[in-house]
Amino acid sequence: MNNQGMKQNNRLVNALFLAPSLTAFILVVIIPFFMGLYFSLTDWNGAIQDKINFVGLKNFSVIFSDVKFHYSFLVTTVYTAANVIVINLVALTLAMMVTSNIKFRNFYRSGFFTPNLIGGIVLGYVWQFIFVNAIPGFAESMGIESLTSSLLGKGSTALAAIVIVGSWQYAGYIMMIYVAAIQNVPVSLLEAAQIDGANFLQRTRAILVPLVAPAFTVSTFLTLVNSFKQFDVNVSLTNGGPSGQFAGKVVKATEFLALNIYNTAFTRNRMAEGQAKAVVFFLVLVIVSLIQVYFNKKKEVEM
Amino acid sequence: MRKVLSIILLVTLVLSLAACGTTTTTTAAPAATTAAAAETTAAPAETPAVEKIVLANNKVEIDEQLKAFAAEYSKTAGVTVEIATTGGGADYGGNLKAQLQSGNMPDIFVIEGPAGYDDWKDIIADLGDQPWAADTDYAYSVDGKTIGFPVAIEGYGMAYNKALLDKAGIDPKTLTNFNAYKAAFEKLDGMKADLGIDAVVSMAASTATGMTWVTGLHNFNIYLTAGLPYGDTTVIDKLLAGEVDEARLTQYAEYVNMLFQYADKEVLLNGNYDAQAQAFAAGKTVFLHQGNWVDPTLKTLEADFEMAYAPHAPFVEDTDGVLAAPPSWYVVNGDSAGAEEAKKFLNAIATTEAGHSYMVEAAGMIPAFKSVKLTPAVPLSKSIMEWASAGKTYSWQQYKMPSGFGMDTLGPIYEQLASGAVDTAGFVELIKGEVATVPDLLG
Repeated sequence: MNNQGMKQNNRLVNALFLAPSLTAFILVVIIPFFMGLYFSLTDWNGAIQDKINFVGLKNFSVIFSDVKFHYSFLVTTVYTAANVIVINLVALTLAMMVTSNIKFRNFYRSGFFTPNLIGGIVLGYVWQFIFVNAIPGFAESMGIESLTSSLLGKGSTALAAIVIVGSWQYAGYIMMIYVAAIQNVPVSLLEAAQIDGANFLQRTRAILVPLVAPAFTVSTFLTLVNSFKQFDVNVSLTNGGPSGQFAGKVVKATEFLALNIYNTAFTRNRMAEGQAKAVVFFLVLVIVSLIQVYFNKKKEVEM
Repeated sequence: MRKVLSIILLVTLVLSLAACGTTTTTTAAPAATTAAAAETTAAPAETPAVEKIVLANNKVEIDEQLKAFAAEYSKTAGVTVEIATTGGGADYGGNLKAQLQSGNMPDIFVIEGPAGYDDWKDIIADLGDQPWAADTDYAYSVDGKTIGFPVAIEGYGMAYNKALLDKAGIDPKTLTNFNAYKAAFEKLDGMKADLGIDAVVSMAASTATGMTWVTGLHNFNIYLTAGLPYGDTTVIDKLLAGEVDEARLTQYAEYVNMLFQYADKEVLLNGNYDAQAQAFAAGKTVFLHQGNWVDPTLKTLEADFEMAYAPHAPFVEDTDGVLAAPPSWYVVNGDSAGAEEAKKFLNAIATTEAGHSYMVEAAGMIPAFKSVKLTPAVPLSKSIMEWASAGKTYSWQQYKMPSGFGMDTLGPIYEQLASGAVDTAGFVELIKGEVATVPDLLG
């Protein structure tokens, strides 16, 4: 077979391999995405409707003057920032720990990864019990006054609680990415540095971090996108509560964007408005991710 | 080293595959039910037309009892009645819409008022020819067409623990206005140690635990109807036009504030439905702000003291009555192949002895049908029935508010008052601000 035929044959094989996932992707992502774009410009109500009317950008003008939506944006940003930092710090620390020479490190490895296997809804309810019943009950019997009221009772602490649960769930997964990256760092480099008298911090800063940078890119991207889209833990742990105030309106203190969109569409029955919010949500997510990947890529070092 | 690494990677891979595995199964489950539903609807119209009909129930409290009745019915009817329950703060309406989108619309579902009717009017079947329709005053009718089967009559007021009130020397019959309640609360609060209670009132207002239906819907309905003739719509009509009755709202706010002030703080701010019921059932509070649907829960919690309802009385003038109405109606999905079987099932509830026994004896509900001779054995339902037969009831208008307005918009405002973040004046202003947006929401 000549080269030309081989290439064509390869192309066909590639296309065949791609076909199943591509079909699924088009069916459940691409088509609904464009349907969503269309619905965001109409007065669709989600139930049975005589006629769906085209209303232009009305939904967008409504949501841009919606204080609760602004607040959700703000609180989601705060959460995302906190979550990205906490998860990556914890994951990197864990990764360095389980790649060092400690005993039972393989056991730790699977142990830290396990929370990621539990669904977010279940996690949320389990942790709700821990925050509302277990910790205050324990604090009461131990006489620790500061912990007797639930973390979920106040907006700021409830946000911290979601960060705790979010990190607990996700740090193990990110840890695995760092573990893989750290194990790719040639031992000879580290040993040479050690012989030259570099201490642990110097070795970490000058050798480990630059060489692990591609993993940072992947991990920050994953945590950023995942935190921004946080929904399941949000619903089951706090359901957006408790209430708080923002710009003279009562808002739900931990109602993140995804939950706000869900509540707009399904609880308040304003489907088209929710869809418009989802479009804005998507655009912001794309822009933020692109910026983040662009800047992180610059820092990577090729071996 | 290399070997170890490969093993670890393998384990990771397996673990992540396992992770994928779990998600696939969870998503596969609904798909399977969809397929089953598709099969049932696609089946040709033989006798019986379908093998299975689905009733989407929104009352967790009667889940078990309804399932038991449905199982019993399924044995003889030649059709399996499946009860799918969502509730207790979960989003029933949202679920229905999701089911419609997935082609999995139940045969019998619940509407709670005009909002639900408007959403589904195109598929709701006319039930006017059903035998039970003439047997009730509470069916849901639109333009003279009977479409809704009243699930039950429900009502709420201030449920009280009679033993504790007796001990404190308070006659529940006197609790008909703001000042009487105020005096009673003060007295009970001062006797906490003697009575062995933690607080006077058990009430929950937490957004996180989904209890905003108690505050934003039921408690708010006190403002909408207490003291007005049954079915009077002046206050709700005003609200739908974006206005409030300021004097009435201000008095009402004082009452809400008083309830919060004397409520168990832990239950109020962090508690869920169970925590609220537990506090009352354990005799740790004198009053419970819940409706008669809490009866089965209290029974499970072995609350065997004497209890009944006193009115909610936010005003200086007397309000002598509880807030009672059929809160929901079963409607039949006329587009479904199982519509006829669904109608038969509803009929069995209303007209057979087993059905009566299920409603009254098993589920402890107050039936909306005249032919039912049984009376509820559980105390709070009995109390509501007594108030209702004495004609001392105020209607439910809260479901005329836009979708989610009570739970999602007003509820958090109550929580602000409960946590002390706003005072009653601030509470009134916030409510006014939200009510002003109602015409836009309806527009």
